[in-house]
Amino acid sequence: MSKLSFRARALDAAKPLPIYRNKDLPDLNDCVSINRAVPQMPTGMEKEEESEHHLQRAISAQSVFREKKENMVIPVPEAESNITYYDRLYKGELRIPKQLFHIQPLGLDNEQPDYDMDSEDETLLNRLNRKMEIKPIQFETMVDRLEKASTNQMVTITEAKLLLNEDDYLLKAVYDYWVRKRKNCRGPSLIPLIKLEKRDGSTNNDAYVAFRRRTEKMQTRKNRKNDEASYEKTLKLRREFSRTVTILEMIKRREKSKRELLHLTLEVVEKRYQMGDFTGEVLSEVTAPLAEKPVYTVPITVTNGNRHNHKSGGLPYHGYHHVSVKDEDPFDFVRPKKKYTRREPLCRPGRPAKRQHIVNKADIKQYDFHSSGEEDYPLSPSSEPDEENDPDGTFAFRRKAGCHYLAPCLDQTSGLLWDHPELAGLDALRHRQSLTALSVPQRCVGLARRRVGRGGRVLLDRASSDLDGVLKQLDSGVFSSSFPKDLSDHQVPTQNHRTMPGSASSLTDLLSNIQALRWRFFRPRSTQGDASGEGRTGRPSMDNRLSGGLFVHTKNSGSGGITEEQYQVHQQALAQMQKQQLAQLQLKAPPPQQHFSLPERQNTRVHSLSPLTQMHFHLMWTSRPPHSTSTSQGGTGLDRSGRTPSSGGPLLPASHSTTPQSLPNHRGHGSAVSPAHHHHNARPSPSSLKLATMATSSLDRVPKVTPAISSMAR
Amino acid sequence: YSLLVSELLAHLRTSTDAPLRASCRAVSQPGMAILPSTTVDVVEGCRLPVLRKNQENEDEWPLAEILSVKEIPGRKLYYVHYIDFNKRLDEWVTPDRLDMKKLQFPKKEAKTPTKNGLPGSRPSSPESEVVRVAGAGPQHTPSRPPQPQAQQKSIPTKTSLPDFQNGTARRPMPNQPGRKRKQPPNCGGTDEDSQDSSDGIPSTPRMTGSLVSDRSHDDIVTRMKNIDCIELGRHRLKPWYFSPYPQELTTLPILYLCEFCLKYLKSLKCLQRHLTKCNLRHPPGNEIYRKGTISFFEIDGRKNKTYSQNLCLLAKCFLDHKTLYYDTDPFLFYVMTEYDSKGFHIVGYFSKEKESTEDYNVACILTLPPYQRRGYGKLLIEFSYELSKVEGKTGTPEKPLSDLGLLSYRSYWSQTILEILMDLKPDNGERPQITINDISEITSVKKEDVISTLQYLNLINYYKGQYILTLSEDIVEGHERAMQKRHLRIDSKCLHFTPKDWSKRGKW
Repeated sequence: MSKLSFRARALDAAKPLPIYRNKDLPDLNDCVSINRAVPQMPTGMEKEEESEHHLQRAISAQSVFREKKENMVIPVPEAESNITYYDRLYKGELRIPKQLFHIQPLGLDNEQPDYDMDSEDETLLNRLNRKMEIKPIQFETMVDRLEKASTNQMVTITEAKLLLNEDDYLLKAVYDYWVRKRKNCRGPSLIPLIKLEKRDGSTNNDAYVAFRRRTEKMQTRKNRKNDEASYEKTLKLRREFSRTVTILEMIKRREKSKRELLHLTLEVVEKRYQMGDFTGEVLSEVTAPLAEKPVYTVPITVTNGNRHNHKSGGLPYHGYHHVSVKDEDPFDFVRPKKKYTRREPLCRPGRPAKRQHIVNKADIKQYDFHSSGEEDYPLSPSSEPDEENDPDGTFAFRRKAGCHYLAPCLDQTSGLLWDHPELAGLDALRHRQSLTALSVPQRCVGLARRRVGRGGRVLLDRASSDLDGVLKQLDSGVFSSSFPKDLSDHQVPTQNHRTMPGSASSLTDLLSNIQALRWRFFRPRSTQGDASGEGRTGRPSMDNRLSGGLFVHTKNSGSGGITEEQYQVHQQALAQMQKQQLAQLQLKAPPPQQHFSLPERQNTRVHSLSPLTQMHFHLMWTSRPPHSTSTSQGGTGLDRSGRTPSSGGPLLPASHSTTPQSLPNHRGHGSAVSPAHHHHNARPSPSSLKLATMATSSLDRVPKVTPAISSMAR
Repeated sequence: YSLLVSELLAHLRTSTDAPLRASCRAVSQPGMAILPSTTVDVVEGCRLPVLRKNQENEDEWPLAEILSVKEIPGRKLYYVHYIDFNKRLDEWVTPDRLDMKKLQFPKKEAKTPTKNGLPGSRPSSPESEVVRVAGAGPQHTPSRPPQPQAQQKSIPTKTSLPDFQNGTARRPMPNQPGRKRKQPPNCGGTDEDSQDSSDGIPSTPRMTGSLVSDRSHDDIVTRMKNIDCIELGRHRLKPWYFSPYPQELTTLPILYLCEFCLKYLKSLKCLQRHLTKCNLRHPPGNEIYRKGTISFFEIDGRKNKTYSQNLCLLAKCFLDHKTLYYDTDPFLFYVMTEYDSKGFHIVGYFSKEKESTEDYNVACILTLPPYQRRGYGKLLIEFSYELSKVEGKTGTPEKPLSDLGLLSYRSYWSQTILEILMDLKPDNGERPQITINDISEITSVKKEDVISTLQYLNLINYYKGQYILTLSEDIVEGHERAMQKRHLRIDSKCLHFTPKDWSKRGKW
């Protein structure tokens, strides 16, 4: 056997090793020489220590004797276990519980002071105890607090007074003693603490610094980029935190000012009460000069001041309002959404006539500003219930992020175009608003304009004018009976070119204007005057003028309450009217004597359009009759939509399906006028006029085009 | 060449050091190494025989090295390290125990500066450079054991920086292979070299584990015991090694520790006061084992920092290679206690990484001196392997082992393996056999440790073309004797332990 062959084979940990007793192998000693084939395993010790005298002695002793010999063990420094006062020191006994101990995660610290009194302290305590009673734990707590409050610098006596709620004499005595003791103290603190690392790395090699945090970049070498990124993130975090601090400080300031203002207001009220100034005369007298010079200097306080002054009927609201808000740039993105919902209810009851040229952002901020002081703003409900109670439900107006909303500009809405003829340019433009009456409740809603909203709902856009006061007095009954029979179609346009609405100041003037057809006036058709005789509830047969284009076809298909002759008459009248309008447009001032209804014009427009657009118009316009009927009949509780197909129905499946749903809301829509939509509605008018002009030239083609429309509509 | 230059530079800079050393050097000329008179100052780095009593209380004069000199009123004291004795026996001695006749001055080790990284360790002037080269031979006195050069770690040569920063000339110890000079903290390039201590640049210790194997952070401060005496419960312990207790407490004759929370206090009065507030009567953790009076408590180094730190500070007094550089967060501490009517008294402990990348099932392990040599150490080790068994892993203690650690582990491994081998019965008349993997699996002892134990016991033999295990009579007898003495055993039925998957719990 050569040694080489043995060495080639390594010890295989997975291979079974048979176990022999030495006595079974008398020839084993022959093989001893090859035992080196098994590689020597390291001991796991430091090399230089491995050779230490006592260890080597112990190892060899063990290998010789197979057990430890008393005098061969590794010597260690002695330890004694004969502390005689042990039992006095550790008082009490502990009986071993049956259960294993289980530590509650947070049950350990009961906030005992870390400072432990020494005998020097005891002498002081004994001295102090001659004058007053002070317990060791009390003293320890005091010193503990003083120590923990003095991280870099020792606390001053004034700070100590704040820190320790103790009797002055005691405090002084303990504080002085502490200061003296601390100055003589060798360590950095009277509570001996392990040295902490300093972040600058200067303590990296300090032997007394222990338990450093493991935050040092373990992965730095592998991933320096990551490290860089986190460094930047940390910087950013720091920036943002400091910003938070600033904000919080400002809030603190604000709240302080608020409180101050509250006190001041209270004082004012008290003083007023003492003075007997119940009417506010004295106050307004005093505050008047103040109002003239807006205060810009302290934005936050001013805004708060606004609130209070506003409530107490003092200072005007604007002027410095937005100035103060704009100063608050850091608040830019603070809770815009939440604030927003809060806005609307605020607007409704509050100052509708007030101008707010402030843009949306500022608006938001305005409410942000008062956000923390909700108790001081009882008007503002919280946003959640607000959304739930909104009658519009899912259709409630919600602001969108990134959208720039303008505050309603009331001087534009109130100033109708006829207030500014020079701007309107065209007299005809005023036609976009007509007097409108509703059947339920039976009253005139004033100037309004009808349009189709979402889902085919008819919206009445109301416009306010100087006439409003007068119009309110109009009883729908007054004119329904007084109108000429031939104009008893449910919507009768009245027009007055001569008289400006603004000049029609009295009810009688107005009425005469209406009767003279100088004013367009749309009203529900009277029940008894149902020419077509269809429906005992007085449902208007299809309004031929309103939806003339549509009507042509329904009539042709054998239903309808209008004759061919009537239609022809209408067409002619229409053509005539268009001519007049044109002339009027071109001459700017010429007074056309009579106008047919606006629907008529729309009708003509339909004919002039391409088939596709026509269909669109059809849909738009034909959707209205059911609505108007339902408007007029909402009170009767009858669902008419089932019957409308006889007239416009076949063409309008879509609109039909939507109308019943919108019925309940219908009136609400009709009366609730959104000023924000006003401008938008006004816009189509000029183009419709243009279309009208085109219509006059293409009137002849009407019959040819319409069949195509109907087929397409189907 | 550049190395030489920088070394020279280092010498130039260090030559401005203490004039005292200059005088030393003057007398350490060739032929004058052994001084006839005691008038000369004994300084750090000098070697000479020092009187000490051995275990038989006989006088011995082992060679020792002076690590530090201090003057207290009336006399001088010398901190000596006995060469080839463990550091735990280092002590302050009075001048009368020094054999001044055999004083050797610091040896010049110029020849292999690149090898041990200590070119500037003994401040020298340019002229002494010559001396060093010339006098290297004569300086070797017969009484002096040869420098363990062969064992010194080979260290690359980045370390020619002098070590005199911080104003004081901190002298690294001779015969401290692997000791590196302090580098000024602001020295460039630390980033590159951090985490890598083998290149000789002092750096932070590795993040894992709790032992330092290289001595890069071993300076004169940590080389010396700093606490005189610790009173813990009934015991007074003489610390073996440095421990970073607050520096102001190191001058006390006795440092008092609360026996249960291990808080350190400067006086008995303070301890008394503390005990009125501390109501602990057992380590503040969950008791996961109890049999008889022996209990084990598990403490999370992250959740109970104060206790963990206090325990580490105490343990450091008796563990040379333990590092307290980093926090205790990634460790669990298993504290073994013995119950009596006063409470659960700490006997020893071991720490364990929550997640070990290197199969370590023990980081540091210690039986407190009063309990040593009574079987508690083996009990601690046994318990650590019981935990590994529950975890279904094999484990090994973190390295380096201390001398006592090596003896204890070897003893435990030997007994455990022999227990298995002797219990194996012949199967169907066949000779019993077992694989190393089987042993490892049964005992949770890592395979390498099984092999090294078998080897240490000389059980592995190559016989007739295969490896066999042979049990000699003295092994069997020795084992049986030892097992008779081993009363303390872990009863796995009393262990209530569910291992946690720490990797799923975020970072510790």
